[in-house]
Amino acid sequence: MPETKGDLTMAVKDIAEAVAVFDRVKVVELVEAEIAAKTEIDEILNAGLIDAMDIVGKRFSSGELFVPEMLMAAKAMKAGLEVLKPHLSAGAVAAKGTVVIGTVKGDLHDIGKNLVALMMEGAGLEVVDLGVDIDAEKFVKAAVEHNAGVVALSALLTTTMPTMEIIVAAIKEAGIAVKTIVGGAPVTEAFADQIGADGFSTDAPGAVELTRKLLST
Amino acid sequence: MNRAITNFDQKMLGSIHNYSLELLNDTGIRFPNENAREIFREHGFRTDGEMVFFKEKDIRMALNTVPSSFTIKARNPAKDIQIGGDNYMMAPGYGPPFIIEPSGEKRNALLDDVHKFCKLVQTSQYLDFNSSIIVQPTEVPQETAHLDILLATLLMTDKPIMGSSSSGIAAKDSLKLAELVWGNTDEPVMISLVDSLSPLQYAAEMVDSLMVFAEAGQPVIVHSSCSLGSTGPITIAGSLVISNATTLAGICLAQLINPGTPIVYGLGGSPTEMKTGGYVNASPEDAKHTAIVTALGRYYNIPCRSQGALTESFCLDYQAGMESAMMLTTAALSGANLSLHACGTYGSMLGMSYEKFIADEDLCGAIKKLMQPVEFTDDAFSMDMIKELGTSGNYLMEMHTLKRCRSEFFMPELSIRTIHNKWLEMEPRDITERAAGILAKRFAEYEKPEIDPDIEKHLVQYVNTRKGL
Ligand code: B12
Repeated sequence: MPETKGDLTMAVKDIAEAVAVFDRVKVVELVEAEIAAKTEIDEILNAGLIDAMDIVGKRFSSGELFVPEMLMAAKAMKAGLEVLKPHLSAGAVAAKGTVVIGTVKGDLHDIGKNLVALMMEGAGLEVVDLGVDIDAEKFVKAAVEHNAGVVALSALLTTTMPTMEIIVAAIKEAGIAVKTIVGGAPVTEAFADQIGADGFSTDAPGAVELTRKLLST
Repeated sequence: MNRAITNFDQKMLGSIHNYSLELLNDTGIRFPNENAREIFREHGFRTDGEMVFFKEKDIRMALNTVPSSFTIKARNPAKDIQIGGDNYMMAPGYGPPFIIEPSGEKRNALLDDVHKFCKLVQTSQYLDFNSSIIVQPTEVPQETAHLDILLATLLMTDKPIMGSSSSGIAAKDSLKLAELVWGNTDEPVMISLVDSLSPLQYAAEMVDSLMVFAEAGQPVIVHSSCSLGSTGPITIAGSLVISNATTLAGICLAQLINPGTPIVYGLGGSPTEMKTGGYVNASPEDAKHTAIVTALGRYYNIPCRSQGALTESFCLDYQAGMESAMMLTTAALSGANLSLHACGTYGSMLGMSYEKFIADEDLCGAIKKLMQPVEFTDDAFSMDMIKELGTSGNYLMEMHTLKRCRSEFFMPELSIRTIHNKWLEMEPRDITERAAGILAKRFAEYEKPEIDPDIEKHLVQYVNTRKGL
């Protein structure tokens, strides 16, 4: 991050500050002001919004922030991102990567999946949430359509875990360059390996970290 | 008295009911099954897309046909259970796909574990009926796992069974197997758990199984629960209204299909762990729901279900004991008629433990004793003896004491009641290791209950055929 520019960076830091206290209105105002002041768009994005979410993510992981607070911060960050979007060079957002996420066919548990999706959004990833009860065909179609970097599968029932294997296989068969990650309370690392998924995590912050890693390789 | 768990007067219960009616009428409940909506429409209900709307009179009519108590037959008639009234029936863990070992390690549950737990249920002094997923066996094909479990509970125990509600097909399998045992399913021979999805909806598979069981007149536990703050409002009042409305809608469908279908009314609500988004299963808020659900059960005059000896712990520590006891004691004292998860469940209902099962049995026994009314017979007052002994008595020397010394008090199997040096010298002293000793004895003393060899053959045949063997 550029250290210079004195006051400007200070103002960008204010954005981060506003995100951290989940003040959506202020984030939008500040981002608009920075754009008007011709601050570098990349700096607003990185030093303002993304850095802020990194801080929020860390505070959440350490137990300092509660889930609703973290989600509100993510919402504030997204509001800022919306303002910024028309000014971003094409692909700058997409470069961060798109994630297609859903709960697998036969399974309707979505509390954990929603949490993972929201945290990913908060981390600046583009997330396409397909919802619950999603079969292989829909996952493959969405992955192609949205040019996804990662497909994330959630399952909470041992009876629907085998469906994960089917979906991972279908994605491989479709020959699309996309990584698959799996999770949900009964899913284990060993199971993820066994079905040939590219990653597994026990919780939402871990899922974000994992996705970032997979997208950067 | 205005203790937090007893302050549910008719007015408060009435307001929960009225707000539920408002939701049922204005917002409706989502039933993603066309055949279910068809039944509602035939009875004049308004539907819109997948939403079904209910009027007060619909709910009133449905509630009118629900029996206030019923009997579930066991393979051994001496073990039939009565659901409703003052009765409190207990079943072990439901659903965990993992076993938590004494070392703390977790491993996948296997069919062998189902069999071992069946032995414990059969030899249990305190458990009254089986669970349909005592653990989820992970190594067998999942589409037919329910058949493996049903077969085990029918052959290895002679206590009442739970039917499988994981799909319409699984429900039909449950009925088929029961027919092979009882010749028909005219009377209740199982009970099954149908969970709604919060907020305000049902899953298609659950509705399918509800419909199959209702047609056969087999009892159903209709249960709704919100994760407070994620699938429902963070406040108990708001979540209660959602859950009550959803449960009432399910009860209504069952009564339309087959008026008089036995129902156990269930609602729960667990806090969302605000630091992680996790589901917290053993908390004062959960226990409060238990107290409220029993009050609402009485309000509607329907038997009610509560959660059992739940804990968020993963070993036999203070937390496991404290949480399990809080949950089960609240259920017992506030008048629940039935609890699943009474024995064996660890953290968030995801893991079963053999050692916890043994420890929970002590808790179940203590609670059943606690619930028993105090005996006020002449023999219990024993006035003659008291007068005779006056101030000089040593009651240990009396026949009255001798006659009752093995039966009067609750005797724990696992908990210790000894003096400090004896405890220090105890081998093993660790509670988990002591539980292991009791387990070994229980497995050794287990005997397979008698069954007509023809029936057994047919049951096995049915399951094998369904599994394509
Ligand atoms: C809440 C709940 C429900 C709710 C679901 C509400 C909803 N909208 O989701 C209701 C009541 C509807 C329900 C229904 C059923 N349930 Co349920 N349910 C649960 C419960 C108690 C909590 C799940 C939860 O939300 N946890 C909180 C979230 C935050 O955690 P999480 O989902 O694990 O997600 C975290 C991680 O796993 C990870 N993660 C999740 N997804 C992903 C994806 C990726 C890619 C990654 C990397 C990470 C990741 O990150 C998340 C955040 O940290 C669990 C028990 C448990 N403790 O898991 C049982 C449980 C999963 N259910 C169970 C059962 C049996 C059922 C039913 C079949 C019961 C019935 N007979 O009606 C039905 C099935 C419905 C269906 N077809 O899906 C069993 C499963 C047993 C098994 N053998 O598989 C469990 C274990 C409970 C039990 N012992 O009975 N259930």
